[in-house]
Amino acid sequence: MKKTKNQEIFRRDFLKGLTALPFLGYFGFGFKDNIEKELLGKQKDPKEMLRIDSFDAIREKLSQRTGSESSRIKVGLVGHGWRGENLLNSLGYFHPEYVEKMRADTIYDRWLSYQKWHENLFVDITAICDTFSIHADRGKEVAQNDVRGKSSGNAFVKLYPNYRELIASKEVDAIIVATPDHMHVPIAVEAAKAGKHIYLEKPMAHSIEEAVQLRDAVKKTGVVLQVGHENRQQMSFKLGRELYQKGVLGTVSMVQTFTNRNSQFGAWIRERKFDSLGTPENINWKEFLGTAPWNEFDTKRYFNWQRYNDYGTGMVGNDFSHTYDCINQVLELGIPESVMAFGGQYYYNVGKDDMPDVFNAMFSYPERGLTMTYDGTLKSGIYRQSRILGSESTMDIDRAIMLFKDTYSERYKDVPESPDDPFYYYAPNTNANVDAVSSATSKSYFKSGYGPTYIDGKVIDATFLHLKEWVDVIRTNGKTSCNEDVGFEEAVTFNMANLSYAHKKPIHWDRANETVIIG
Amino acid sequence: MNTLNYSKGQIISLTILRILIGWHFLYEGLIKFYTPNWTSKSYLSGAVGPFSTIFHQMAESGWQLKVADTLNIWGLTLIGLSLFTGFLSKPFKIFGIILLSMYYLAYPPFADFGVNAYVEGSYWVVNKNLVEMAALFVLFMFPSSNVTGIDRYISGFNCFKRNKN
Repeated sequence: MKKTKNQEIFRRDFLKGLTALPFLGYFGFGFKDNIEKELLGKQKDPKEMLRIDSFDAIREKLSQRTGSESSRIKVGLVGHGWRGENLLNSLGYFHPEYVEKMRADTIYDRWLSYQKWHENLFVDITAICDTFSIHADRGKEVAQNDVRGKSSGNAFVKLYPNYRELIASKEVDAIIVATPDHMHVPIAVEAAKAGKHIYLEKPMAHSIEEAVQLRDAVKKTGVVLQVGHENRQQMSFKLGRELYQKGVLGTVSMVQTFTNRNSQFGAWIRERKFDSLGTPENINWKEFLGTAPWNEFDTKRYFNWQRYNDYGTGMVGNDFSHTYDCINQVLELGIPESVMAFGGQYYYNVGKDDMPDVFNAMFSYPERGLTMTYDGTLKSGIYRQSRILGSESTMDIDRAIMLFKDTYSERYKDVPESPDDPFYYYAPNTNANVDAVSSATSKSYFKSGYGPTYIDGKVIDATFLHLKEWVDVIRTNGKTSCNEDVGFEEAVTFNMANLSYAHKKPIHWDRANETVIIG
Repeated sequence: MNTLNYSKGQIISLTILRILIGWHFLYEGLIKFYTPNWTSKSYLSGAVGPFSTIFHQMAESGWQLKVADTLNIWGLTLIGLSLFTGFLSKPFKIFGIILLSMYYLAYPPFADFGVNAYVEGSYWVVNKNLVEMAALFVLFMFPSSNVTGIDRYISGFNCFKRNKN
């Protein structure tokens, strides 16, 4: 039957309304297949890819609470400088000025609820001492302001004129030491002899002889020592260790470590608002010098103590000691057989005895068939994570991990990624769905320092966990993760580098006699 | 503008734009639907800028996150289907603009917030979300679904009636 003109127009109009249907049909036909491929690409089983049967480290749970009202520990803080205050913060004590500043911030409620969320360690800060009275007074103000509400409420914070009186006090069961490096061992040994447990900021010792002295004192007295390498709590290093032990890296022949800084503060030239108030009247200069050689009162030496060999341990003691400890966690390297270091004092010369600001060191481990290097400068802030070169894969590691397959890897020959691109990435709690590999979030998470870790599904301050481990071990008689033996390895290793720089000769470790051979 | 006054070229252009945006929304919705345990939590937790607190709060609150996830999966899918087929496309275009504005506000493209670090290009004020919002607004102002979509059949059959007379 012949269609009328109106019918023809109606049909054309009707079909116009369905214009998109062929496109929708094409979409419907192909989308499922495409989605499956896309999801498959995203859901590669990392265990299968890494050729391991399980991930154990990342399943770790937070350890059980050990404290109670009847087992409260009274802690004294020796040294309330920048780091000393940080440690009190990690225990939940904040200066009222800081709390006020936070109160003005929109995140105050979240910050406070995060603070209160922390486990009660049943620790009271009862004693503070600092050689600078302004720091000591501030320390008392901080220690009296427990924002987490976990202290006993009737703890009285007392200022002590020196560490000896603080250690001798019956109001102190354990001490936190955050003083200049040269006083770490004298204070810690005194505490050990008095039976007081010690949380000792890194590095463990100013010299190898002192490291031997402290290790032996701790072993003899049985007190609990935790050296302040809080990255012992960092999940990335626990996972890195597991991956290494499960053969993911293959044979490791080289380790490269770096620490760079590029600022006055980073170069330990530190002017805080109240540091300029330092005078011979409010600084106990003799107590500050302690075991160091005599020098006339000098505020530069006092406030920039890290820069002076008499009190500090240079870039290797300040920065490399952290990095070394992280690598030591993963590879259990221990003390090198030989160390050779070079460097120079070019940019921040603040006077006599100043430390180098460009430093390179090589650490030889012939028994392990590997060499470790350290490069550090105080005139470039470029960030580089540690790199562990293996025959099967190379691991970039800090608070995150990236693995690159080796060009000639047998284990990963079927992995499609190019050796230039990471084939495995671990960066917990980052915005990985935005760009899992190259996002700035991930990169910033990579960086080390006093940051949080990720454990048991929670983001937690690693320093808090390190302190928690210390007080838990005090109550349970176990072993801390950064005990006297681990700290000893750190102290000997970086001190060998400093000795090599000073003597301009290789330094060898005489294991039997626990001493160094120069040249 | 009366849609009947569109030229053939204008209708084709507007229809292509509508289908392309519909395609994008639909695929984004479906891939979230098919991804096991998909959630917007990490996206919301990573939000930056002046409204970040609201998004962080959503990520932390169980019910708000559930609503956000449902709105994302089904919102994107339904908006996509609506644009694709030209069915009820007017209200869905508004819904699409609202959804895109949320994405825009969660990661506003200003250098201060470091958002450019998250994405592959470089953006200042204007990013792809804003461009897609603008395109949806153009489609809202110059609808094509009552010519080349199912809306044609539910908008009173005016064209048929007129042709028949």
